[in-house]
Amino acid sequence: MTTTLEGDERVDLTPPTAPRRRRRTGRVVLFAAMVGVAVVMLYPFWVMIYNSLMTEAQFLAGRGFSLGSWKALSSVIPIGQEVLSSTIICSASIVIILAIGLPAGFAFSKLRFRLSTIIFLVIVSAMMVPLQAILMPEFVNVTKLGLTGGYAGAVLVYAALGTPFSVFLFTTYFRGVPDELIEAGIVDGLGYFGVLWRLVVPIAVPAIATVTVLQFIQIWDDLLVGLLFIQNTSERPITVGLAVLSAGRTTSIPELMAGSIISAVPAMVVYLGFQRYLVKGLTMGIDR
Amino acid sequence: MSSVAVAPVRRRRLTLARRRQLAGAAFALPAIALVLGFIVVPIGQAVYYSMTRWDGITATWIGPSTWSQAFHNPTLWTALRNNALLLLSVPFALGLPLAIAVLLHQRVAGWRIFRSIYFLPTAISWVVLGLVAQRFFAYQGTLNSLIHFFGFSTTNTNMLGYESTALSALGITFIFTMIGTNTMLFLTGLATLDTSLEEAARIDGAGRWRIFRSITLPHLRRFIQLAFVMTVIALFSALFSLIFVMTGGGPGYATTTMEFLIYQTGFNQGDFGTAALYGLILFVLTAIVGVVQLRLIGSDE
Repeated sequence: MTTTLEGDERVDLTPPTAPRRRRRTGRVVLFAAMVGVAVVMLYPFWVMIYNSLMTEAQFLAGRGFSLGSWKALSSVIPIGQEVLSSTIICSASIVIILAIGLPAGFAFSKLRFRLSTIIFLVIVSAMMVPLQAILMPEFVNVTKLGLTGGYAGAVLVYAALGTPFSVFLFTTYFRGVPDELIEAGIVDGLGYFGVLWRLVVPIAVPAIATVTVLQFIQIWDDLLVGLLFIQNTSERPITVGLAVLSAGRTTSIPELMAGSIISAVPAMVVYLGFQRYLVKGLTMGIDR
Repeated sequence: MSSVAVAPVRRRRLTLARRRQLAGAAFALPAIALVLGFIVVPIGQAVYYSMTRWDGITATWIGPSTWSQAFHNPTLWTALRNNALLLLSVPFALGLPLAIAVLLHQRVAGWRIFRSIYFLPTAISWVVLGLVAQRFFAYQGTLNSLIHFFGFSTTNTNMLGYESTALSALGITFIFTMIGTNTMLFLTGLATLDTSLEEAARIDGAGRWRIFRSITLPHLRRFIQLAFVMTVIALFSALFSLIFVMTGGGPGYATTTMEFLIYQTGFNQGDFGTAALYGLILFVLTAIVGVVQLRLIGSDE
């Protein structure tokens, strides 16, 4: 079953009679309903933009607009540093998730070994374990290893949480690759690593894109791991910066909203650019 | 002659198979190590620590009695009740996206643009959506403006400020945050629907509702199941950001769910042992959902 979002434009063959006019009014009602839903879904953006275009005083007075909050933003939160931290954490985690998940997926689908089925099941079941369920031991382990001082702790936790899904997706994906391709590579003397690198990776690009997009949005938007597994405030990701700022007593809402917009833009760009990979990833369990 | 010739070939085959297995094990090893070290082992540790008094540094063994004690704590029951009450939002978190997906599937002018708009909030962090929701429910927020606009100028709400309403506000926000993902799932499901079936039913005189009930809904069954499981899992384990930003678990414990109780118990009260125990309760709850999912998938094959 292949799924696609691209619509097949349907040809309307009904003769232009009364039912057609009824259909037209139906379409108008539909269109109005869609506009209504759009207003609701755009509401967060309106709140963020509208409120960010005020100073604290203007916000409290309820009138007036200025760019004051945008100008003051970097003095309230180290926004540049936080975006950089988010970017570093995201990229490092995703690289590990791919570098570990892709070979494992290849192994579980094409290079089955003793107990590989049961190990695969254990890894896939780990997908269902929420971090909160193992939060306390995880926190103490990572702290004892001395990994909360930099990005390493958070990156490893994200990598571990993302790996089960990545393994599942790559395994499912590689099941569709003919065994002959692998065998041909071995006969040609590439070796298993050569086959992985030269034959398997190139055909895995759509799966790589899916894992990357899903994990990027997941990690970029996450709060809990960044909050607990990064000790230095100078290495905070943007979501933690915003959440901690909002918990403060003297928080200026307009500045908070300006920061929110900055945090939202990268994820939205990725989202709009790679929508179809996201859909593929979400329906992975069904698309067999 | 033939037996002599076959033997070396078989031997070579065996070594090839063996090499393949070794390569497979080597490729899978990093993933196994990471999942074991960061997910499986901590579950075991949690079982041990749940029976200790633990502040994160030293753990004193107490025994299984910690479990019976924990269930005497009314806060745990409040958190479990909050989780149960939030389950009431699941039908809305599925029903609204289903309606929106059907709406989009009619493919009226500009439906692609609408689709992108509907999905857009899904990209935003729940931290940010929590901040926005706070603005919506605030005393001087959008909700009261709307109420005043419709003529009830003396009515003022402050849903996040009261124990009786804060959980509803959280539930409404949760529904909003799930709309994008679930709509996307259902729309994907609808795209795989064979339009000739609907066409045939229409020619046979079936009404819209009848077509929806008898053709569209059964076709979407697996997508609805998947959305259901994802929604419930999110409800148990993804509300942290929203709660942290919107209410901090309050007022009182009105919006403290299991996952937030774990965080509070561990990091605000420093009671790591009890927090580990609560974590295991959450683990069991999600495991039940997981088993339900497996059974649902299994029932198809």
